[in-house]
Amino acid sequence: MTLDYADVQGTILQGYRVDHARHFVLRVVDEAAARALLGSLVDPASGLPQITTAARWTIKPPYFLNIGFTSAGLAVLGQPLDGFPRAFRRGAADGATAQLVGDVGASAPAHWVDGFADAHLILSLWVHRDLGVLEQVSATLRAAWAGALEELAAQDANALPDNKVHFGYTDNISQPTVQGAPPSKRPLPDRQPVAPTGEFLLGYPNQNDGAVYGVTPPQLSTNSSFAAFRLLEQDVAGFEAWLASAAAQADIDPELLAAKVCGRWRTGVPLVLCPDIGTPDPPLAPERINDFDYVSSDPALDDTFGYKCPIGAHMRRTNPRGAQVIAGGSLHRIIRRAMPYGPPYDPASPDAAPRGLVGWFINADIANAFELIMSKWVNESTFVKSVRGPAGANPVKNISGQDVLLGVNDPATSSFTLSKPPNLELTGFGPFVTTRGGAYCYLPSITALRFISAQDHTRR
Amino acid sequence: MANPLTLVIPLREDIDLGVLQAGLAELLPNIGAAMEAVGTVHYSRVALLDHSSPNLQPKPGGTGPFSFMVITSYDGDFDVYIQDFVTHLGQIYDALLSFSADGAGIVPVAEHVEEFTAYLTANDLSAQPPSNGFPFYNAYPYTVQQVLANAPS
Repeated sequence: MTLDYADVQGTILQGYRVDHARHFVLRVVDEAAARALLGSLVDPASGLPQITTAARWTIKPPYFLNIGFTSAGLAVLGQPLDGFPRAFRRGAADGATAQLVGDVGASAPAHWVDGFADAHLILSLWVHRDLGVLEQVSATLRAAWAGALEELAAQDANALPDNKVHFGYTDNISQPTVQGAPPSKRPLPDRQPVAPTGEFLLGYPNQNDGAVYGVTPPQLSTNSSFAAFRLLEQDVAGFEAWLASAAAQADIDPELLAAKVCGRWRTGVPLVLCPDIGTPDPPLAPERINDFDYVSSDPALDDTFGYKCPIGAHMRRTNPRGAQVIAGGSLHRIIRRAMPYGPPYDPASPDAAPRGLVGWFINADIANAFELIMSKWVNESTFVKSVRGPAGANPVKNISGQDVLLGVNDPATSSFTLSKPPNLELTGFGPFVTTRGGAYCYLPSITALRFISAQDHTRR
Repeated sequence: MANPLTLVIPLREDIDLGVLQAGLAELLPNIGAAMEAVGTVHYSRVALLDHSSPNLQPKPGGTGPFSFMVITSYDGDFDVYIQDFVTHLGQIYDALLSFSADGAGIVPVAEHVEEFTAYLTANDLSAQPPSNGFPFYNAYPYTVQQVLANAPS
């Protein structure tokens, strides 16, 4: 299948491998001026920074720019929403959405950073290393949208060394392989099926017998997508303190517990391949770091019961691969384009400065991917299918509570099962992540962006 | 804690009982495997009603109109798992809805997932007044998979 990469926003199909980002949360204040501005972002003759597409480049661009619309944003620009999916229309700040995905308590939309609940657009700007370019392009954009858009918030993000996140784990290892997408420059075999194009782009066959996700009018459909934008604050000091105390309770090394709650050692080495050490000697070959499954016909490689990687580990919950789960382990994939924000955490002098992860979680069907993962897999423990093993072993019995890293985790009810017989349940922790902002966004194709910018609804 | 589905699919008035029964005979044996793949359904049964019969019980020579019922007890939220439901049961529902008086327009359901969800809600007696106010009894607070995991081998 040949995709028109020049019509697809770049961040959907490729990671930019950049060190800095700035996400502008914007609100339309002048509809006609906003449409004109949006048109200029897909018109090289305008002289303004252009929306980055998935078209291949020979010289790496100095910056990358992509855009998403909330349902309120589309509506204020005059686009009817009845041809858009229900979850998108509902939006991230809606009370039902918040309940569904676990944005409750301190994570509730009422407590979000000002601006997110009222967002019309999120414009993301990435630069490789040069912060001067970030400021220069930001200034150009701000001057361009004056009078058309109001900047409600701007959230910066900065990569940490070695692709780490604040919790200390190596990130950016596993991403879905999308049929028709440009080949990765650093492919990592993962034993998972290639995702049909339609799982990530509207207008192409998806995994459901070739059905197609789409919106109306058709000009807004093909090559567009959807995403959940998330601003997630991480309580690193709280997490580290819990690791120390819970590891003592379990009589294991804190680093092993850190690996158990994630599914990988903080080095990135997966527990399934290296259950006892995160720095194997000789080192795990780089191309093997994602080359595993949780089930195997080879008893030496099989981890059906979670004795190596717990059934409730973060990455096993959010991507169960071949494991037996309700709704199918490989059928709810998400492309993650997120980066840390806030200062690096220094364990020698713990502080409570805001820090976390911010970015895009992309799939063509928000309900079937982001919402299912968050509601059923992250925040429940009843999604595992029964597999009978020797002596009554069963993965259903080896999971409890919610995702330690991402779940709601009320200390009164939180629980994590270390599943090496006999099971040990660690309780009374969390939460370690608080949602500080969110938006469900439509990621228009270039064709769609031109269509939106050309609609003059004031003359109807 | 399980939830009830009491789905009524009114069938086209021109449907011939013989044709319907022949169609169902092809479909119904596949339901068990599909339900097992879904993994959230405790019990499922189907029934045929003849609205020309005083007690709705179809009899030979019954003239209809007919309705088809699907009655299940299932775990969790129907909406969240709808794509998985469509994956495993979509073709069965496509066939059932092709006989229906009010659902042929959403076939194939894989192409009309939100409309299919709305149809199931609208035609589910247990989701609509007054039946949604009637008690639903659970003998146990366990999911299908918990029951299977703890059942004696």
